[in-house]
Amino acid sequence: MIDLVVVGAGPAGLGAAIAAAEHGLQVCVVDEFVKPGGRLLGQLHEEPDGKWVNGIEEAQKLYSRAIELGVNILCGVSVYDLQKVDHGWCVYTTDEMIESKCLLLATGASETPIPIPGWTLPGVMSIGAAQVMGNVHRVKPGEKAIIIGVNVLSVAIARELQLCGVHVESILLPQPGILAGDAAQPEKMMESLLRLSHLAPSPLIRMGGKWVSPKLGARLFPKNGFKMWGIPIQLRKTALEIYGENQVEGVRIAEVSASGDVLPGTEKTVSADFVCIAGGLTPMSELASVAGCSFCYVPELGGHVPLHNEFMQTNLAGLYVAGNITGVESAKVARAQGKVAGLSVARVLKALTYGGNEKLHSAVEEVKETRKNALIQFQPGIEEARRELYGKFDETHKKTLISI
Amino acid sequence: MNEESTVVCRCEEITLKEIQGTIEKFNCSSREVKLRTRAGMGSCGGRTCRSTIDRLVEQMGGPVISNEVPLSYRPPVRPVSFGILGGAKE
Repeated sequence: MIDLVVVGAGPAGLGAAIAAAEHGLQVCVVDEFVKPGGRLLGQLHEEPDGKWVNGIEEAQKLYSRAIELGVNILCGVSVYDLQKVDHGWCVYTTDEMIESKCLLLATGASETPIPIPGWTLPGVMSIGAAQVMGNVHRVKPGEKAIIIGVNVLSVAIARELQLCGVHVESILLPQPGILAGDAAQPEKMMESLLRLSHLAPSPLIRMGGKWVSPKLGARLFPKNGFKMWGIPIQLRKTALEIYGENQVEGVRIAEVSASGDVLPGTEKTVSADFVCIAGGLTPMSELASVAGCSFCYVPELGGHVPLHNEFMQTNLAGLYVAGNITGVESAKVARAQGKVAGLSVARVLKALTYGGNEKLHSAVEEVKETRKNALIQFQPGIEEARRELYGKFDETHKKTLISI
Repeated sequence: MNEESTVVCRCEEITLKEIQGTIEKFNCSSREVKLRTRAGMGSCGGRTCRSTIDRLVEQMGGPVISNEVPLSYRPPVRPVSFGILGGAKE
């Protein structure tokens, strides 16, 4: 029986593996993708100070450090079941069964699809798939893209597609109706975009972020949209249908009012050879659910998250969570959470040396600090939602766990 | 193509119309929609359409999404061969 199995080799999983291995623990990391790094692999962006962040390099650094510390990393291996056993966990993978004293789920988030008429045509993909094709596999998904879904993620990836040499024709809203829900509401999406305002080169939105209310923003929003990096962002246009004979040929669009109603007589078609659907991210909780964790529904964090405390413990002994499974946030926050989880495991397995408690507590502070300085807030109210979640955990479970 | 004929569950090819019709007729939960229509029971294990089904049920007057995960997850949570289930290495 080894000390720790980590599911997910993203920033959280590798961060945890490193922290645990630095304290002498025997660690195995399992990831279903063929390369380690998780969502880091897709990231490429310019920070406000002009420095470029290349996620592939960040992933390589974490990977090298983990290998140096003797962490066993299995890629292209999926976990399909879990079981609590005496003094630990049994993890069933497509490679072998592994037993460990502690188990960390760092499985990240998955994309929320928005079904749109014509979305089963070849050439329609999720925005994350386009990112993986371009940035990880170095395959250009097409020449001319239309992105359906205006949010922080879609705007960031549109920029990456542009860097791949793709012409992004426009980013617009999905068709209003029961399938799209809020994603078709100009006001709601304006609210989401305003959180990107500090990154936007456009003075309109940069200013807007400071003082424009989402309601006013949506109403004043120019009919033809505004541009970020030359990409038209169109909060007052909607995708009615993706059309094409055997594959994507274009999108039928129309104008919408500020409240999201289609304006009659404004329909037209726009050609494209691929379409990306961006419905946002939601924590990937399947393994935590199979394990039997308690859950909390927290919209600010992206949906259902396993109940946990700020030391990344769940309500089940020996089971930990870190990264986007605990709520959708940036890769930097995920990495900081991973470190907390790794130290937390080391503490429980009595591997923390002198001064270990201080280390753990300062790692918890680091998460808060990183969150405060995060460039992108995926949702408003993350801080408050987390405080409430941890409070709930303490109320119900503190007594049953080994106290920290 | 209109919204009604849009495929929601891609694995089992279940349309919005069929799901909406089922919710209306039986006033049912996500789980019942799954059992009645097979939406969410295909090879992806509901990973693609589960959130849409939950949202449809909620918007059509079903129970408000609570702390419970509406459609429970059961192992295997990834498609695996009988060989692997039987303990063989891939």
